[in-house]
Amino acid sequence: MASGIKDKVAIIGMGCTAFGEHWDKGPEDLIVDAFEQALADSGVARSDIQAAWMGNALDDINVGNSALPLAHALRLKTIPVSRVENMCATGTEALRAAVYAVAAGAVDFALALGVEKLKDTGYGGLPLRTKGLANDLWLPYGSAPGSFAQLAGAYTAKHRLNGDDLKRAMAHVSWKSHQNAAKNPRAHLRKAVDMDTILKAPMIADPLGLYDCCGVSDGAACAIVTTPDIARGLGVANPVTVKAVQLSASHGWEMSYGAWDGSYVLNTREAARRAYAEAGVKEARKELSLTEVHDCFSITELVTMEDLGLSDEGCAPADILAGRYDSDGTQPCQIDGGLKCFGHPVGASGLRMAFEIYTQLLGRAGERQLAAPRLGLTHNLGGAPFNSVAAVSIFGRLH
Amino acid sequence: MRGVARVGVYAPLLRLDCAAAARALKFSGLAGRRDGYRAVGGWDEDAFTFAVEAARGGAAALDTLIFASTSAPFFERLHATLAVDALGLPRETRTRDVAGSRRCAVSALLDALLARGSALIAAGERRPARPGAAAHLAQGDGGAAAWVADEAPARFIGWASLSYDLVDTYASREHPEPYPAEERFVKEGAAAHVLVPTIRRALESAGLSGGDIHHVAAPEPVAGLWRDISRATKISAPNHASEISAKLGDLGAAHALFAFALATARAKPGERILLTGFGSGCDALVFETTGSMPGAELAEAALNEGALLADYVRFLSLNGALDLDWGVRSEFEQKAQATVLDRYGRDTLGFIGGRDCAGNVQFPKSRIPVRPDADGPEAMQDVRLADEPARIVSVTADRLNYTPDPPFWFGLAQFNNGARVMMEFTDADARGFSVGDRVAMRLRIKSHDRRRGFRTYFWKAAPAERPTLGG
Repeated sequence: MASGIKDKVAIIGMGCTAFGEHWDKGPEDLIVDAFEQALADSGVARSDIQAAWMGNALDDINVGNSALPLAHALRLKTIPVSRVENMCATGTEALRAAVYAVAAGAVDFALALGVEKLKDTGYGGLPLRTKGLANDLWLPYGSAPGSFAQLAGAYTAKHRLNGDDLKRAMAHVSWKSHQNAAKNPRAHLRKAVDMDTILKAPMIADPLGLYDCCGVSDGAACAIVTTPDIARGLGVANPVTVKAVQLSASHGWEMSYGAWDGSYVLNTREAARRAYAEAGVKEARKELSLTEVHDCFSITELVTMEDLGLSDEGCAPADILAGRYDSDGTQPCQIDGGLKCFGHPVGASGLRMAFEIYTQLLGRAGERQLAAPRLGLTHNLGGAPFNSVAAVSIFGRLH
Repeated sequence: MRGVARVGVYAPLLRLDCAAAARALKFSGLAGRRDGYRAVGGWDEDAFTFAVEAARGGAAALDTLIFASTSAPFFERLHATLAVDALGLPRETRTRDVAGSRRCAVSALLDALLARGSALIAAGERRPARPGAAAHLAQGDGGAAAWVADEAPARFIGWASLSYDLVDTYASREHPEPYPAEERFVKEGAAAHVLVPTIRRALESAGLSGGDIHHVAAPEPVAGLWRDISRATKISAPNHASEISAKLGDLGAAHALFAFALATARAKPGERILLTGFGSGCDALVFETTGSMPGAELAEAALNEGALLADYVRFLSLNGALDLDWGVRSEFEQKAQATVLDRYGRDTLGFIGGRDCAGNVQFPKSRIPVRPDADGPEAMQDVRLADEPARIVSVTADRLNYTPDPPFWFGLAQFNNGARVMMEFTDADARGFSVGDRVAMRLRIKSHDRRRGFRTYFWKAAPAERPTLGG
């Protein structure tokens, strides 16, 4: 009987570059910058790393395929390196692989690094990647905002909401993230924005306006993991440990079977259920100190609050507007600015979320530090609501 | 008795207000159409999709399918074969394309009537023209179809043909847009040398005189020409082709069959219809109706429904006369692979899903069904979704994504038979689309690889009902 990975793996070093439009940096620079931070934080030697996983979602337009760009950039001398890709959940996939390798006892030290260099392609958003394959014959070439905007329509219909009320709650999601990112020196967008500006922004995909959408960024984030015993041997008596890493992936049910109403993300619910069980979380609303969720769009964060069980179904708009998830609320969400404002270098985002939880748990978050956080959750979502990969991870201190 | 057993028509949603176009062109002093409407195809429609839309709803099998057009997208790739897949017909159906003249659809109909077996003639037209040319506003986009069978409510009772190279207009590979001859020459020559003598012979063949004809479907190469022919042939019946010209424009190869459909809709049993096709000669056919014509009711509706388009620049863009720079988002690969088309092309073109062992319908088919309790590979039975009604589960108007006619509507469609498909929506009216809306499937261009001159087709969800023009 599988016992899960709770407290079997410790994070002893993390690094994260500033996210943004790094016109002066290539993938190699981003990889090295994130890794050197993590290495210095961990106290281990470069040569101690025994296996590495690189997360990169859009290999064809930036870093290059395989994990060799990572091996080259860090001069990882003949150790096993692998590239993982699971759309926007790629960063958590890299962490999951490294965590599993340590938990399995296969290696003592493993590296997970996510990187994306998108700003060489000349425009915001993500490119279309059609190759003339079977799906191209019928699937719409929809954009990411278009795919997630559909959550809003279905949510409004299901809960018989007034579209304007939902729009205000969505606007509050983005308003809050802009407020938070102003205190984060690594964030891509550090400017606070008022509600009126958000509400009157140009429409991108009905009903998502410009400020309901995160952009994409250049950046890298990195974690070095080992066992709690080894961590103790290195002088880290109470390390940050992984309480759960769970993944759930679509198998066609939402998109091709008639039961889904389009108003929630099935995989978030499934991954959260398993993660809570693995971490031993009984009452997520009370036990989780903070969350970093995949706020690629404001509606995604809103729906995710319900899918994680933090808000009752149909109540997320009211909870959001009441400030429950604000920095001074009872359960802050995106204290670092989230995808919306910290930025979204796709393959790095899952590790960036872990980086913020790690930073908060160690009390290193400076101006945005929360009081005595105990458990933090990351939610990293790839694909679209109708065809997704959701990763939910929980982190805390060992003791 | 052998004749036309069914008719079909299709006009795209948009109707250009020709007065608005004339206002936009006023500075130029160019003469052209100043009133009426012109049917305008969406960016994702072409002569082939028009023909298929017109040809829906017929028999599940027939002997021959003929596609007729002077503006077919491919020179080498048979549209009639594509139509067999799009209409869900057996692959054993004989197929051929005809072209070369606006007359080609009527000529094909005549051939089919003189031959044996059942046949479908499906015509579609989306002809290019340059802004400012009279043809640009005079032409319209659309399709029409006719089915030939041994038992038919429009009995074929006479005919005549004439081959005559009267160059009223031409288009060539070097000059794809029509190049017209002097209008007065065409008016005189077409009537005197081509149409009148052929119509007289057709009437003789049927043992009739002009006064015995009750309805006419005779496209005019020049407006007002029918008056001269009417005088010469003593046919005083209304020419339904003229009304189509005013409301939809000149539909080229599809015009005569569209007019014939309208004539059958308006004809009483026992009345006689004259159908002519003109271009490089003439074919004149005479029919006598014996009962109501399946499909004809759509012809009347098609004339009066639609959405007004008063934006001349949008018309130019939709029409391909204005090549906008859509920016880097439009720069993506749309190459279709022949091997993939071979494996999946028939299912996508025909919108064929599968019914699993438990009765659940899905698209696309898969080895292991999507049904949650499926536990291994199952054989699937073909189910055509193209004719299945559906409702919208989720939808958005995507303004980020590139489309030649923004916004890009897409979302989940739930079919009445249980299938669920993420798909593109088309023909949005001013209200757009909402969750719960009823939608019907339309065959459209899915991808257009301009670099290689190739296109793929799939079905898109359109509003179940069309608005009435001006309503």
